[in-house]
Amino acid sequence: MSKDRSGSGVTRRRVLQIGAAAIHPLKAPAQVGTAKPFAGTTLNVACWSGPYPKLLAEYVPEFEQKTGIKVSYETPSFPIYNQRADLELSTKGSAYDVLNITFIYSSRWIGAGWFTPLDEFIKDPNRTPPDWEPGDFLEGVVKPMRDRNNRVYGFPWIADSMICAAARFDLVKQAGFGMPRNFDELMQILKAVHRKDGVAGFVNENHHGWTFPPYIMGFGGNVFRNPPDDLMPVLDSPEAIEAAEYYANILKNYAPSGVLSFMYDQAVNVLKLGRANLITFNHAWLLTLGDPKTSQVARTVNYDLMPAGPKGRFPGVASHAWGIPVGSKKKDAAWEFIKWALSKELLHRLLVEKGYGSITRSSVIKSPEFKKKNLVNDIDLADLYLKTIDIAATGYMAYRTVHVYPQVDKQLDKAIELVASGQMSGKEAMKLAQENSIRDLQKAGVKL
Amino acid sequence: MRARAGSGKWETKRRRAFLLGLIPAVVVLAGITIAPALYLLLTSLTPLDLTRAETTALDFSRPWTNYAELWTDKRFHNSVWVQVKLSAVTVLLQLLIGLGVALLLNARSVFLEAVRTVFLIPMVLPPIVVSIMWKVLYIPDVSPVHRLLEALGYPIESLITHPIWALWAIALADTWEWFPFTMLILLAALQMIPDEPLEAARIDGAGRWQLFRFIILPFLRPTLVVAGLFRLIDSIKAFPLIYVLTNGGPGLVTEVTNYYAFIQAFNFSYWGYAGAIAVLMVSGVFFLSWMINRMTAPSPMYAE
Repeated sequence: MSKDRSGSGVTRRRVLQIGAAAIHPLKAPAQVGTAKPFAGTTLNVACWSGPYPKLLAEYVPEFEQKTGIKVSYETPSFPIYNQRADLELSTKGSAYDVLNITFIYSSRWIGAGWFTPLDEFIKDPNRTPPDWEPGDFLEGVVKPMRDRNNRVYGFPWIADSMICAAARFDLVKQAGFGMPRNFDELMQILKAVHRKDGVAGFVNENHHGWTFPPYIMGFGGNVFRNPPDDLMPVLDSPEAIEAAEYYANILKNYAPSGVLSFMYDQAVNVLKLGRANLITFNHAWLLTLGDPKTSQVARTVNYDLMPAGPKGRFPGVASHAWGIPVGSKKKDAAWEFIKWALSKELLHRLLVEKGYGSITRSSVIKSPEFKKKNLVNDIDLADLYLKTIDIAATGYMAYRTVHVYPQVDKQLDKAIELVASGQMSGKEAMKLAQENSIRDLQKAGVKL
Repeated sequence: MRARAGSGKWETKRRRAFLLGLIPAVVVLAGITIAPALYLLLTSLTPLDLTRAETTALDFSRPWTNYAELWTDKRFHNSVWVQVKLSAVTVLLQLLIGLGVALLLNARSVFLEAVRTVFLIPMVLPPIVVSIMWKVLYIPDVSPVHRLLEALGYPIESLITHPIWALWAIALADTWEWFPFTMLILLAALQMIPDEPLEAARIDGAGRWQLFRFIILPFLRPTLVVAGLFRLIDSIKAFPLIYVLTNGGPGLVTEVTNYYAFIQAFNFSYWGYAGAIAVLMVSGVFFLSWMINRMTAPSPMYAE
């Protein structure tokens, strides 16, 4: 009997199932059991406009085709992204399903419980195949994305490592110098090469809260007294004041007009056009100076480690990671996106096809392609990248991931602007930054 | 007596009907204006900080803390001073340029009517478009003005990062955007001036300057006051230009009060503190509105 019934291939139950699915297409499970369990889902994804998120946009259609998930993808500039994400996360809303966890906000966003722990996704073999290997990510850059209980909230797509580049190294060489090994040499080089061939000596972005602390530390100072345990700001220390005078005067005397309004992409563009020479900035951006398709200085650019100060070398290292906001209603689909965006295969393709060099997976870093793509004018940028990450492993970046660093970050921006625009001396500006930081931290409930 | 009583009842009914008719509008107004304003006021009395869970359940135990803090906050004081300077410069420039252009365009001609329309374009552009346009003009690397001056051998520094010129750069862009508003109002007022006193003065030998000084300007004075006060209130909202062009810098030279409130709320999540700043700003705007109302209210003589 049953054989006869099923022989036609169409049973009454099957007809009813099809009918029910047709009547309630939205309520029907999203093709459970098929290869595209999330087909028809729309994910809202946002990140700031770094090299990786911009390159990733070109691959998103592949993800959409593969999974049937539609991705609404945004990459506003860094400050706008952070403001938008901070506000959205604070409401615990569901407007976004995948967001970048910005380094300086990592402690604040994770500590406030605004992101979803990813451990349950990683541990579940149905959600994460073993070959995805969470342990393959560089632990140093995953660490800021963990809470006190070691739960992980994000997987990094970048290890922003600060190095030094000379876009027109030919001018530096003509002046009788090599790449600057320390702050003194940097100053001597700037004095020698500024305005040579119409090229400004130095340029940097106006996010001084990122570019300036390595100089504070190089002179022997710090941002907080002993982060993360003692958050008393120490911005008016003699070392921090000396650093402010040094760094702001570089911007004042050796940078192109309008440098205080330059965002990261503008600063890098000025270098690519050969209008400025030296910079201490992020490896991922500076690697693009060696791309002859977009850079006029591809043949003359040279690189080295961040110069050391009298008290040592403290290049900035930061990671940014994909995470799932706690309010997202599509967490499983969001995890699919993160898995895909940070898969070994895709990161390898980004490296080989797009030259993306700030890789966070050991297996890709160890590949011969990584070394090859990071070779510019015979300079081994892969080596500089890994050395920089190693230097930061000593733990001096702890100042940056405390939950109140965003407030101090803005005070540092203002302090450098005040000195570089000639409105205040380093001492006055850093004293003001100290006073304002204490005021802001007290408002945040920090006991000082 | 009976007729008066009947008329009184009718008056009461009429008043009630009017009140009844007003209720929907009052409800909508309360919903979209008064309720959020009240919530803002309540928030300003709390330490609300969205990154600290313990502050999200509006705590009124120390209601005046934010206001006391503002009293000693030098950056807030600076922002008020910057706002005063910016408002004074922009309102003055907009009135002067608006008046000048209105006088030039005050004639009947098809050509001038077309020109009037062209002058209105800045005012109808979205503020963010205006900001981006001026940003392009102010960045030395891409600005045609900077390039031209450089080619002529007179390179100038970037205005938006110069401690003296940055505020002027904002004022210039704001004036460009909003002088059409004053021009439009003054043009309408100019066209209302009757011909007779002008003709009489001309017959008596008055020159152009005397016509302007003794006849046109007195006629325009009430309109100038209203236009000036409207622009003064609006100048407090000069946010997009500052956000796009200078970020409040260099240092604090272009950081006006609403931008400072924005930083406190959106960068640091100090919503209670930002609320207190906003309450003070709203109070200031209310005061200005009250002044407008008083200055533009018809005098009792005309009212009767």
